[in-house]
Amino acid sequence: MDLAAPYIQRALLEMLLLAVPAGVLGSWIVLRRLAFFAHAVGSASFPGLVLASAWGIAPQLAALATALGFGAAQEGLTRSRRLAPDAATGLLLVAALAIGIVLASDVVEVGAEVDTLLFGSLIGLKPLDVWLTAAVAAGALVLDAALRRTWLATGFEPGSARALGVKPERADRLLLAGTAVVAVVALDAVGALLVAVVLVVPAATVRLLTARLRTLRLGAVGLAAAEGVAAVWLADALDVGAGPALAVIGGSVFALVAVATALRPQAVPA
Amino acid sequence: MSAAAVRVSGLSGGYAPGTDALRDVEFAAGPGQIVGVLGPNGGGKTTLFRALLGELPVRRGDVALPGRPAYVPQTERARLDFPVSALDVALMGAYARTPWYRRVARADREHAAAALGRVGLAEHAGAAFGTLSGGQRQRVLIARALVQDAEVLLLDEPLSGVDGVSAARIEAVFAELRGAGRTLLVATHDVRQAAEWDRVLCLHRRQIEYGAPAAVLGPETLRETYGGELIVLPGGARAVGVGHHAH
Repeated sequence: MDLAAPYIQRALLEMLLLAVPAGVLGSWIVLRRLAFFAHAVGSASFPGLVLASAWGIAPQLAALATALGFGAAQEGLTRSRRLAPDAATGLLLVAALAIGIVLASDVVEVGAEVDTLLFGSLIGLKPLDVWLTAAVAAGALVLDAALRRTWLATGFEPGSARALGVKPERADRLLLAGTAVVAVVALDAVGALLVAVVLVVPAATVRLLTARLRTLRLGAVGLAAAEGVAAVWLADALDVGAGPALAVIGGSVFALVAVATALRPQAVPA
Repeated sequence: MSAAAVRVSGLSGGYAPGTDALRDVEFAAGPGQIVGVLGPNGGGKTTLFRALLGELPVRRGDVALPGRPAYVPQTERARLDFPVSALDVALMGAYARTPWYRRVARADREHAAAALGRVGLAEHAGAAFGTLSGGQRQRVLIARALVQDAEVLLLDEPLSGVDGVSAARIEAVFAELRGAGRTLLVATHDVRQAAEWDRVLCLHRRQIEYGAPAAVLGPETLRETYGGELIVLPGGARAVGVGHHAH
């Protein structure tokens, strides 16, 4: 790995910056059981990315618009209570992927490779991408500082949240919106299909090891940063996408920790 | 009786459009009173609490309270896998008075530790909530309500299925709160226990009766409240509402 190369420096910086929202919001995503939503909202941006590539508009804008559309459609589908939220997520996820594939294969001329949109590329990162990630990392910290007590009280026992003086509905909407925004900035590094390896896997791994919120959050940031740096090295060494490299590393670490904690006596974090 | 702390007038409401989950509720409870809220499962006890918390769509009538009441949910509603200690849960009682940009104040931390002491769990402050017994968890949730320092406390079956040590501690805390002039509404299945409190409110999707236990807890009222689910034991009446689901 050539540390002097600007694209490697940008890739490393991007991964280190992504580790902040990955650990901070990722911990809430895991605790509040939003992992499937986080995966889906990233993947659902695929048709937006295809159109952005064909029409030459900013991919982040297109992805954000698609992600927000996804959130609105999900809320519309579940508000009637005729469809469970995870069923709605699954339905919209396959619809978005199918639309993206149809658009990319027949309808529009795609400038970028489709597999780059799906699995990411660290080589193609521009300075603007890194700046956006830095802004989102800062935003995630502010959001977390403002709302973590509400997320904690609501996640622990939703029935008492309002009696405790916190406002669960607004905070939960902002958690979903924050998740969508983090997914959007993670797209260019890890691709539409693999945002969960940033948003879910590090926090889920550390969750196996600790029953303390503070440890979970700090540990998830640290692990996401370490896995991100390792993924840049692996992607560069093997000339593969950063998303798949990160997925292999994150999945392997999770499996090791899961086996180790299962073998450890009384290893049941409450 | 001094001025009422809780006053409910002609209350009817429910979540489903056009159907009242609870109707015609009318009572007033004063400071320092414990009100036993009796009724079968699905009879409207939790629904009444939701109305007092301002979360139930109210169609008629109104509710007057001195500020936000504290709510103690049934312990099984709390997630056991959440990474919180007993102290963390007690500290949630201070959230309403802590601005988002501040840490929870030192005085509130001391208050939370003291509240855990009052429910007999001082030495379990650092224990993960999910590792505690059911009775201990119930006491942690009561400690959280103590930290909230509300004039009115709503407790949803706090004595159901708890061990003897926990039950004794909880009843001692009730006595302290009553002495301090707080108003407690306690949902319960145990008629004999409610008979020892100051007032009883009998609900079966509507208010059946409200008043002093000696005046209210006759066989007719209990039959109307519980339907056929009442077993009368020698030495007192005991309602068996568990397993009965009035939908």
